[in-house]
Amino acid sequence: MTDPVREEATSFLYPFLEAEERDQDSLLADLAASARAKAKESAELRQSTLDACAELVETAAAEMARRFTAGGRLFAFGNGGSSTDATTLAGLFARPPLGDPLPAWSLTADQAILTALGNDVGFELVFARQLIARGGDTDIAVAMSTSGSSRDLTAAFREARQRGMYTIGFAGYDGGEFADSKDVDVCFVVRSQSVHRVQEAQALLGYRLWAAVHEHLDTKGDKR
Amino acid sequence: MSAAGLTDDLSADLASASLVLARQFSEGATLWCLAPSWEPHAQHVAVEFVHPVIVGKKALPAVALTGPGLVSAVRVSVRPGDVVLAVASADEPAVRSVMRRAPAWGVTTLWIGSGPRPTAGAADHVLWLDDPDPRVPATGGFVLLYHLLWELTHVCFEHPGLLAPVVPECADDVCITCGDEGRLGEVVGPGRVRTADGVESVGTMLVDPVVPGDLLLVHAGLAITKLDEEAGR
Repeated sequence: MTDPVREEATSFLYPFLEAEERDQDSLLADLAASARAKAKESAELRQSTLDACAELVETAAAEMARRFTAGGRLFAFGNGGSSTDATTLAGLFARPPLGDPLPAWSLTADQAILTALGNDVGFELVFARQLIARGGDTDIAVAMSTSGSSRDLTAAFREARQRGMYTIGFAGYDGGEFADSKDVDVCFVVRSQSVHRVQEAQALLGYRLWAAVHEHLDTKGDKR
Repeated sequence: MSAAGLTDDLSADLASASLVLARQFSEGATLWCLAPSWEPHAQHVAVEFVHPVIVGKKALPAVALTGPGLVSAVRVSVRPGDVVLAVASADEPAVRSVMRRAPAWGVTTLWIGSGPRPTAGAADHVLWLDDPDPRVPATGGFVLLYHLLWELTHVCFEHPGLLAPVVPECADDVCITCGDEGRLGEVVGPGRVRTADGVESVGTMLVDPVVPGDLLLVHAGLAITKLDEEAGR
């Protein structure tokens, strides 16, 4: 049996070291457990969202495929983290790792246009004004948002509607203004209160939408 | 497709990466984000830290580096103690180059990606989805990983006692106090080499000719080895 007094003969010199090490291990264990719990929550939300939106995805993909075939193009936009998710989605359409590219752009890609509009006409119109310049009646507007109510996005949808564009909104919470707007043809709602979990589910939903568009285009191609 | 939960290994990697990131932030680090093939991911990470979605969480310095000349952009941006986070596949040339140079710049590295893994030790922390499908970067799997990194990093800030810098234990080949040092350096000009300690004068007669950007192993003021393109850490 070891002598506890002798074993810790020098521990009085470093009274915090052992306690800190224990604390660090326990923090790391807590962090890992928290990561697993959040990932599980995210996976469940992604699955339930795909299930709930399955029919809507088919509806939207069929119309998008029809428009792409007719020469239509896709414009994606959003604010903050959602703008990056919208850009990833536009990139997936335009430069897919597999499959044929389709014409798609992110409306946050050009800083000169974004700051010119923000400075001269106000931030609310940064996307609407770009659609005035570029959008036509065979085109598609996709806005990604967690609130579903950002003024610049609802203004863009109002403009897109007037121009005959097909409008697709991604929202979180209860769908916000997108859910009830007559300017929005299809609203995908990720029913969660967490911005992070909403964005994760929206990303997968966007990916699924892209895949479904290609399924519709392939079917049409087979019929030709 | 990456919709399942996290493995124990990945959650443990996330936990230790988050603690290190929190420690570096509390020492004044900036987080530099790269994603050459999926640039929006770099921007998403940066906006996450700079402008948190949860009110009351502190804003932290994070920057997305995009566009051509990425290695040069990182080289001129980073300072010792900073952190570089890349979202990229293991074969992305610019990211591989940055990761190899990181010890010479004195920065900590995090690498998020999918498919075949980088070689062991290619980055300080590797957060990886093993799914080989090239479409994984567009499915939200990476978004989940960097969201979790942000969330866990902020949990660490609630434990200020654990954020003190860790004094590295004496490692056989690099410990200055043990007398034998071999540090990575990057040539910046004739006889001038950048290491984690700053730019210093180094004799290169054993490895000449060298050009700016070459990586050298520096020992007691002398470059003893020139590392080839794919060697590194």
